[in-house]
Amino acid sequence: MWQTPLAMEKVSLYMVDEDAQQAAMTLARMAVMHPLEAQTNDRGLQDYPAAPYFSVYHELNSRFGKIAAYLKAPINQAVAATGIVTLDELQSLDEQLKELWARVSELEEQTRRQNEKMIITRQLSSSLQKFASLDLDLSRLRRRGRFLRIAVGTVPAVNFDQLKRALSLTNFMINRFYSSEGIDHVVVFGSSQQQEDMHDVLDSADFRGLNVPQEFSGSPSQLQADLNRQIEQEIKALNELKDKLTELLSSHMPVLQNAHDLLLQAGPYASLATVLRGKGGLVFLQGWVPAQRDQEIRKELERDLKFPFHVEFSAPEQKDFDVVPSLLKKSWLLKPFQALVRNFGIPSYREVDPSGLFALSYILMFGMMFGDIGHGAVIVLASLLLWKRFPGVTIVGVLAGFSSIFFGFVYGSLFGYEHVVPPLWMSPMHDPIKILLVAVLWGAGFILIANLLAIRNYIASGLPEQALFSGKGVAGLCFYLAAINASYQLFANNRFSWLEGLLLLLPMAVILQFQWRQASGGLMERVLVVLIEGLEHIISNVSGTLSFLRVAAFSLNHVALAAAVFAIAGMMDALGHGITVVLGNIFIIVLEGAIVAIQCLRLEYYEGFSRFFSGKGKAFEPLKIET
Amino acid sequence: MSEYSSEYLNTRLSIYASRLIGFEQLVKFIQYDLERIIAEVGELTGHYYQLDGTKLNPIESQLTNRAIDDFLILIRPFSGSERRFFYFAIRWFELANLKALIRGKFSGIESLKIEQELIDLGHFADLPVKKLLETDDPYEMLRLLETTPYAGIVRQARRMYEEHGNDLFLLDATIDRSFFIDLNQRTRFLQDEDAQYIRQVMGGLLDRFNLLWLLRYRFSYGLSAAKSFYLLTTTGNKLYSSELMRLAKMDDIEEVVAALPDPYRDLLANIRVIADMETVMEYHSLSIAADALHRKSNLLSRSFAYILLREAEVRFLQALIKGKQLEFDPELIKQAVGAPS
Repeated sequence: MWQTPLAMEKVSLYMVDEDAQQAAMTLARMAVMHPLEAQTNDRGLQDYPAAPYFSVYHELNSRFGKIAAYLKAPINQAVAATGIVTLDELQSLDEQLKELWARVSELEEQTRRQNEKMIITRQLSSSLQKFASLDLDLSRLRRRGRFLRIAVGTVPAVNFDQLKRALSLTNFMINRFYSSEGIDHVVVFGSSQQQEDMHDVLDSADFRGLNVPQEFSGSPSQLQADLNRQIEQEIKALNELKDKLTELLSSHMPVLQNAHDLLLQAGPYASLATVLRGKGGLVFLQGWVPAQRDQEIRKELERDLKFPFHVEFSAPEQKDFDVVPSLLKKSWLLKPFQALVRNFGIPSYREVDPSGLFALSYILMFGMMFGDIGHGAVIVLASLLLWKRFPGVTIVGVLAGFSSIFFGFVYGSLFGYEHVVPPLWMSPMHDPIKILLVAVLWGAGFILIANLLAIRNYIASGLPEQALFSGKGVAGLCFYLAAINASYQLFANNRFSWLEGLLLLLPMAVILQFQWRQASGGLMERVLVVLIEGLEHIISNVSGTLSFLRVAAFSLNHVALAAAVFAIAGMMDALGHGITVVLGNIFIIVLEGAIVAIQCLRLEYYEGFSRFFSGKGKAFEPLKIET
Repeated sequence: MSEYSSEYLNTRLSIYASRLIGFEQLVKFIQYDLERIIAEVGELTGHYYQLDGTKLNPIESQLTNRAIDDFLILIRPFSGSERRFFYFAIRWFELANLKALIRGKFSGIESLKIEQELIDLGHFADLPVKKLLETDDPYEMLRLLETTPYAGIVRQARRMYEEHGNDLFLLDATIDRSFFIDLNQRTRFLQDEDAQYIRQVMGGLLDRFNLLWLLRYRFSYGLSAAKSFYLLTTTGNKLYSSELMRLAKMDDIEEVVAALPDPYRDLLANIRVIADMETVMEYHSLSIAADALHRKSNLLSRSFAYILLREAEVRFLQALIKGKQLEFDPELIKQAVGAPS
């Protein structure tokens, strides 16, 4: 329950340039090293030998990604990615993909144009439909009159007003006869003498004219048939383009498969572009590895590297603690809880991983707030149904459900019925004050544990002063214990003597003195900061403890909700009673269950984690072969 | 907006306004060396920029990011359509990146060089810059841009490119035009009084754009009156549609200037070079913004005026710093930043 991230060591590997790629592959295969960017140039290694390789890799990877987005069939993933890929191989492949992408891009551009063409034809068809009811000879629209020029078509509605004004400068008029989906259907007419200017403006306004064929002299319905044929041809052309693209990609599948495989193999070395440093054929690589695997790493490198190399492992110094990545022990049971902890933050290298404590307290609190044998059983069954799709939800749900069942026996509650199962202890409604008291005690215990963990984390991080004198340290712990004692004396014995007062004041004085030393700024500013922080410390302890009253409040709420359901059901006949009880229980499980789950999380994050857990750690992200 | 928010915003605006660097002071900077400029900027604004910023965070980006951070603080008390208006207005900064990308790709410039022109806008950025830089040809980039919030603007730019080829000035103008039209449309969702004040501040900006581009379209590109007029944007304070249509039909710059309404006729009298006119018009539009900022009236228009003034300040400083870094002659820098010689 109190586990910390795995012990790490800094690995420093010196090797010759020719072996760098193999070393990257070996370490990636083992997935044991979190690469570390070299901080200084003190070794005189100023070059980045993997940079040119990364540049080509990046370009190739980007092109491959763009092409792969058009693939219908997935690329075969089963590749034993262990070989070495040379820069020449990457460059040659990049040239091939560049050529292929140019062709794909060209087809995509043609498709875009074809699509646009089709949209215009459809708009014109829609425009023409407005003439369908008129007995109009459309050939007049084509005919170029001596004095009059007419054009029919569409413009984007946003352009209409400006176009109307602009056309008036050419002595043309424009009339909107239909408007739909941001497109205006218009007729333009004016003097033939200025039609060139008119066309110029219409082009800029994205005017799409209805083209009446030379041979056409019929009614709108005949022209409509012509447009329909055009649309069919355009759809055909679009399909042909799609087929061409599919054919092109199919014929290049071997190249793409090869690119995929080579990219997988080249990935580890390329990803070290900003990490690997070198000079004159010598290469230096640094990273963090789990301490327990150092000998294994040494052996693997000895086996794989062709040339002599030097590797050294060293334990992190205190100044490194902030940058050492945290690798948490894997546990299938704790995995979903670790994910919830990660939402708050990653444990720092020397911090306690709170996942175990979190899991235990979360499950217990859920049961205390939602204690019911029947509801718990439903949660267990519903969670089991989600096993395949959401295994994490199932684990949390099953544990929470069993906790609910356990507390259901403690409270003697079954689907809200309080008299079917005899309680092991008592129903919350029978003595609410006792339940509230238990909740406060639970909260006090929770905060005490959080305080102890904070002290432990300070010590482990090499901060003894904080561990002793800060509000979250020993002084804070003493103050909190003194406050519990004072509250007990006051409420149980109706007494608050000088001793209780002294016990409270002493640790508070230590805390304030520590804060005074930490604060900066002018005298008044420091006084203010220290006073406010001291006050904040008292308030946060009180409010934090009282916050746990919600544990009792929800257990009471659970019974009250069930009572409300039964009260409504009592007003019904037998069938209505049954339906109300079933629906009421579903309502309680879904709504109250969700609220309790969130409230538990809130208590964990704000009353627990914020007291001892910085969450400022860095996740261990090893060099590995991506699949 | 609550009374408290109004008071807060008033105070905030007063503080920000007091930190703006005056134009005369900015012009003085041209004579200083780079270190002194940064030190003076720090003294006057309270923002101390790092001259030796890393490649990822050069001083140009620091200036922009600081300004955007201030804008975000400023517009926090606004909500609904007001906030949406400001978010759109601040996109002006990203438009500079959009222009650099389009210009760069259409001119066949290497991705690395284009990247150096871009300002890192951090979480405020909407453009997938990395992906855009990885495109292999301009059309691929345009297709990708058409999936971003700038799709409408990009479609206009594409049409302009297909019509007029790789004319960078025209591409820029098309992008600005679309932005102003969209920005003006967003004022329609504001309350009438707010919209009216905002339009007054915007008016100077729109007049400047319309007049200068009308002159360029007509007399530099030789476009017809109708087309020149069509390519203009939303009308501003003084140059209404009827006015612009009348001006578009004129045959030379002198005639246009003589026919301008006040105060533009007086301001531009005796100036015949469009670039010089641009400088005069820019300072006129900024003086309108400065008046609005210092008038204790409408908070929305004051905030907008502050954004315009700060943007101009950032642009001036960026050009000045670039000029100093490239060791340009002060006279050349003066021309680049539009300062009087």
